[in-house]
Amino acid sequence: MKDTKNRPLEPNPLILTGLIVYFAFVLACRTGRLESHPPLNRHQPYNYVGQKGMVVAAHPLAAEAGLTTLKKGGNAVDAAVATAFALNAAEPFASGIGGGGFMVIYLAKKKILTAIDFRERAPAEAHPKMFIQNGKTNETWRLTHGLAVAVPGALAGWALALRKYGTKSLSEVIQSGIRIAEEGFTVSKTFSKINKDEYEKLIHMAGESCCYLNQGFPYEPGDTFRNPELAGTFRLLASGGIEEFYQGLLAEKIVEAVKEHGGIITLEDLASYEPQENTPLKGVYKDFTIYSPGLPASGGLHIIQLLNILENWPVKEWKHNSPEYIHHLSEAFRFIFADRAHYLGDPDSVTVPVNSLISKDYGQQIRSRINPKHALKTYPYGEFDERDNAQESTTHLCVLDNEGNIVSLTQTINHFFGSGIIPEKTGFLLNNEMDDFSRAPASPNAPDSKKRPLSSQGPLIVFRGDRPYLALGSPGGTRIFTSLFQIIINSIEYGMNLDEAIEAPRFFSYSVLGKAGDIALEARIPESVVDSLKRLGHTVEVREAYDKYFGGAQGIMILWDKHLIHGGADSRRDGHGAGY
Amino acid sequence: MKTILSLSFISITLMVNPGVAPGNAAGELVKFDQPILITSAGQSAEVQLASVLSKRAGLDVTLNKTATPSDLKQAKTLVLVLGASLKGLGVAGIDAAEEKARVKHLVEAAKNLNIDILCLHLGGEARRGQLTDQIIEEFLPYGKMAIIVKTGNKDGLFTSICAKHGIPLIEVDKTVDALAPFKNAFI
Repeated sequence: MKDTKNRPLEPNPLILTGLIVYFAFVLACRTGRLESHPPLNRHQPYNYVGQKGMVVAAHPLAAEAGLTTLKKGGNAVDAAVATAFALNAAEPFASGIGGGGFMVIYLAKKKILTAIDFRERAPAEAHPKMFIQNGKTNETWRLTHGLAVAVPGALAGWALALRKYGTKSLSEVIQSGIRIAEEGFTVSKTFSKINKDEYEKLIHMAGESCCYLNQGFPYEPGDTFRNPELAGTFRLLASGGIEEFYQGLLAEKIVEAVKEHGGIITLEDLASYEPQENTPLKGVYKDFTIYSPGLPASGGLHIIQLLNILENWPVKEWKHNSPEYIHHLSEAFRFIFADRAHYLGDPDSVTVPVNSLISKDYGQQIRSRINPKHALKTYPYGEFDERDNAQESTTHLCVLDNEGNIVSLTQTINHFFGSGIIPEKTGFLLNNEMDDFSRAPASPNAPDSKKRPLSSQGPLIVFRGDRPYLALGSPGGTRIFTSLFQIIINSIEYGMNLDEAIEAPRFFSYSVLGKAGDIALEARIPESVVDSLKRLGHTVEVREAYDKYFGGAQGIMILWDKHLIHGGADSRRDGHGAGY
Repeated sequence: MKTILSLSFISITLMVNPGVAPGNAAGELVKFDQPILITSAGQSAEVQLASVLSKRAGLDVTLNKTATPSDLKQAKTLVLVLGASLKGLGVAGIDAAEEKARVKHLVEAAKNLNIDILCLHLGGEARRGQLTDQIIEEFLPYGKMAIIVKTGNKDGLFTSICAKHGIPLIEVDKTVDALAPFKNAFI
């Protein structure tokens, strides 16, 4: 019999192996070296990890739809359109076939960068004073009325991208959207809150029995949301193509619904809609190059302006979200808002000095006007000798495929739940994009026949040297470009990983008619910083700790040295990633 | 043991049955009279929900999101829908301080006119935050009864205020579940 009492402890090999594997797994997950599930605390920065491909989007079902498309051999464009359809079903209040957007595409083999503009257009009968009633702007007409609806461009834009750069058909990529709409999904807190916030709009515009209410009440977290009417619409598109939307049965339903609510869209408006393909706008910051759609998308333009202004400031010395940092950037935001109001509009209708606005010289001019010790009293727009023409709510997705192709796509129906108008038995919401036009009839962004309203969207792809580094975008109205700018600086200057950069606290400011607006900032920024900003002459509005007012960014970062892809998804909305 | 089980069963039954008109601290049934004026305290969208609940309950109700004391003339009950929304405040064209001042004048006027106040909080957990909590703390004590979606009470804020002021509190799982106790609360 063996003497077990005096024998020294010997580790069980099986247990030891198991422990080693367990700890290695935990370590790998923490360092992002293996794909695993995000933490229960969604605010904790977490990078989705992949090696061949990645999809990030504002809903897990949509991200999965994109990933499935990649795994079935589709490329980034196929996956982006599949994700876009899926978002219409899974996040119907933020985008869909009743809206529009922009995308920037990078094709790795041919080294092509292109942008597709599928922004909605004003109806042919639109004119600068269309929202004026008795000498004043009728706000209802701009938001919850048939006049608020612009001609949707989403389907036309997705179809163009697919036709030119995809490998799959519309009927293939729409299938995930059909399944999500038909089978439904569990309503999240985000969905429920937005549903509650827009309850009045839905009651008045769509009625108590509409599919976006649960027996006349908002959906609660945990409820199941299904949209069989949208599934039916998608099936019609799968069999009949986008012609059903722009010329067929759906076109008739759209016109009827808009007319019933006092609008002016005609069958001819829909039939004549065409998306545009353009060369993206380009800006340079140190050894990084930023590509983003040009006007009427303004996000990229403003981000390039801001990077030019910031370029020679000692941001690292100031430290992230310090009073100096927030003060200087807020002043910079106010100057670009002055330019925005004075110059920006649809470049097909107005001449915009884009090259001057995004020049390094102009960035230096603005930088020299900013006083480090106090907020200024006025913020004038820039004045240029020559005018050259270079030519929110909302959701964002990014896709990277295993050949290195990238799509960064932002799309919207403007306000959550758009105009609240649903064409009969179709399940989709019509936008209220006309509200993105200026209220001033003399503005370069005033409404007019077939004009595209100015957009804050700025889906972008950033290169480091000659290699893609980051795809990024966000919803959030005019906070889109200020938030994306902060994420870029968080990554490039402060060395944060992608999701740290996305989750970090944000702030925003603006100017109107040359006068400063408040600085709005998330409550995670310390009170001592708020006090310092007040001493510098700012008024400050403290918002929630993770406030979707500042957007819901999604991004993909390529870590060439580690042969890894990181996906970052914003916890301010239901952002999610899926990589493989 | 049997006594404990019986008492527990009775307690649980009373707690989960929203159809029972709750008593106040003195054990009397709380009932409200009509017509009703519904207003918001904070301008959140739930004031519209309260209006829908009222219509479904077949009650005599007027909705005025920014009601002032002069609107109390015809009302026998004031329903105060608690919940702040920056968006709602923006649409109403007022700031938080102005909203609190408006509601203060209104509830004081209601008190002086012996108009009972029924408080609702229908937004659940999503409708809690710094400004909403200030509104709850300031105006819930004026209520004669409160009906809330229970996820908005995870930290026990409603429980503690109601207990302190002897205000019967009904908690429901979802907004639609508030219909029965809301209807039953009125004569």
